[in-house]
Amino acid sequence: MKSTTAEVDPGSYLLSRTVDGFGFAKQEQSNSTETLSKNRPVDDHPNDREQKTIRKWRKMIGVGGSDWKHYVRRKPHVVKRRIRKGIPDCLRGLVWQLISGSRDLLLMNPGVYEQLVIYETSASELEIIRDISRTFPSHVFYQQRHGLGQRSLYNVLKAYSVYDRDVGYVQGMGFLAGLLLLYMSEEDAFWLLVALLKGAIHAPMEGLYQQAGLPLVQEYLSQFEQLVKEYLPMLGEHFIQEMVNPSMYASQWFITVFSYSFPFPLALRIWDVFLYEGVKVVFQVGLALLRFCHDDLIKLPFEKLLHALKNFPAEAMNPDKLLPLAFSIKVSKRLEEFKREYEKRKERPLPHSLPLLSSSGIPIHNLAGLE
Amino acid sequence: MSSRARNLTFKLVLLGDGRVGKTSLVLRYVNNVFSEKQETTVQASYLTKRLVIGGVPITLSIWDTAGQERFHALGPIYYRDADGMYLINTTALLVYDITDSDTFLRVRKWVKELQQMASKDIVMVIAANKSDLIRSKKYDIQEAESYATTIGAKLFLTSAKFGTGINDVFLDIAARLLQKKKSSFQGLSPALPRKGIIVVDDEPEREPPPKCCS
Repeated sequence: MKSTTAEVDPGSYLLSRTVDGFGFAKQEQSNSTETLSKNRPVDDHPNDREQKTIRKWRKMIGVGGSDWKHYVRRKPHVVKRRIRKGIPDCLRGLVWQLISGSRDLLLMNPGVYEQLVIYETSASELEIIRDISRTFPSHVFYQQRHGLGQRSLYNVLKAYSVYDRDVGYVQGMGFLAGLLLLYMSEEDAFWLLVALLKGAIHAPMEGLYQQAGLPLVQEYLSQFEQLVKEYLPMLGEHFIQEMVNPSMYASQWFITVFSYSFPFPLALRIWDVFLYEGVKVVFQVGLALLRFCHDDLIKLPFEKLLHALKNFPAEAMNPDKLLPLAFSIKVSKRLEEFKREYEKRKERPLPHSLPLLSSSGIPIHNLAGLE
Repeated sequence: MSSRARNLTFKLVLLGDGRVGKTSLVLRYVNNVFSEKQETTVQASYLTKRLVIGGVPITLSIWDTAGQERFHALGPIYYRDADGMYLINTTALLVYDITDSDTFLRVRKWVKELQQMASKDIVMVIAANKSDLIRSKKYDIQEAESYATTIGAKLFLTSAKFGTGINDVFLDIAARLLQKKKSSFQGLSPALPRKGIIVVDDEPEREPPPKCCS
């Protein structure tokens, strides 16, 4: 298919160097970048404290991740605490692969990715192409038509759509893959996607994308609605009055795990925790956002409410403010109960792991009981 | 039907394949902006526009949707109850990309579904978008126009990029909805809800009337 973005000048952004520390074109709202500047990745000149943190992390990981599993088994609480403080940007790609279990999948399946990319064809190819230039369009890596970024993104999404033909390609996946590709190779990003959707460590999330109406999104949204009613009863009542339901504002939070339209420094910090602790952090961050803006939201009528739920103030987008608030909201127990209720209703257990994952391959080191 | 109010609100939903320009159309109409870097829509979004037709202030509440079908279960096109999913009886702005004939097939599919599930007098309008790329059109606009006539819809050639034809589309929708509302007030064609179909009534707005019409 012939793309219709011929007018875009791919070079202009690269030349003008108007990108932030993460490679995104700088926005007009300079005040928000200011508040986020201290959350920039540790780039050329990490300060002493950051150096110290990196050293600690390196020790924890070992050469090429060799000490990681041992460390996690011995000191899971330390790992959890450090991850919540943010993984150093220079180690992020590696650590994400270790905590998601994707590194094991990669080692167990040599040559599979290449096979999927080169020799297989996908029914979703056209759909993927249509979305490629609309995924992180303001990021330097993805701006150039048919550039390395766009080609990698296409390959990963195509490979996944072949790997799981039932799910295929779904809008929103591109933001997951696009985020991962900024931190790792195509093949690594592919296996991390597999680890997430097929459930290497945590419960599989492929239901976020399945036919028949994204069933897991619907399940999460109804649980989120319930949590809002319980934890923020006044706001929950206000939502009912204004006929606002979570599908109008929170579905993208779950479908893309905050990688869509959220500031990158915040998205990365959420992903650090998401990969280690699982989807509960999406609920926690969602609730934290609502709590943060509670007193404003509660006064707004329908239209303004929906607008506010998509345009949070810059202060709320500061990971060091939002995340501690999120972690203070305990949701694990309630989510467990919801899950049991849901399974009882469905009268069948949720599929829990893929045959591909032999029980020997993946250590289950961080499921329940950490909190 | 509700009692006469000073400000009428009409709801409409944009439907169409991915990347045909639904979001760009709405953003051009509501905010008069256009971006080459418009991201894929992964969640339905809500925008409003106020206008005045023949002295009657009208609010259009517009739902922009994701192109991929499986998103539609999340709303706002379908309503779910214990018995299943129902298409909401709503005005539809069907959008396709004139450079991609597949996207017109998708419009035909939507029309079929709307005709089957929603009420007979549903208002439908088709936007043939990306007219700025008219030289590369692979699809005969005349055929699309005559198709629109057969289903009682109007077709507009639009370009979200250049901002052409956009106002006409929404003005036509608003005018037709107003006409429909008037005739139903006069009791000429009362819109009776059909069994199993959810009728979303156009409620008068609770907000104070707007200062400006645009």
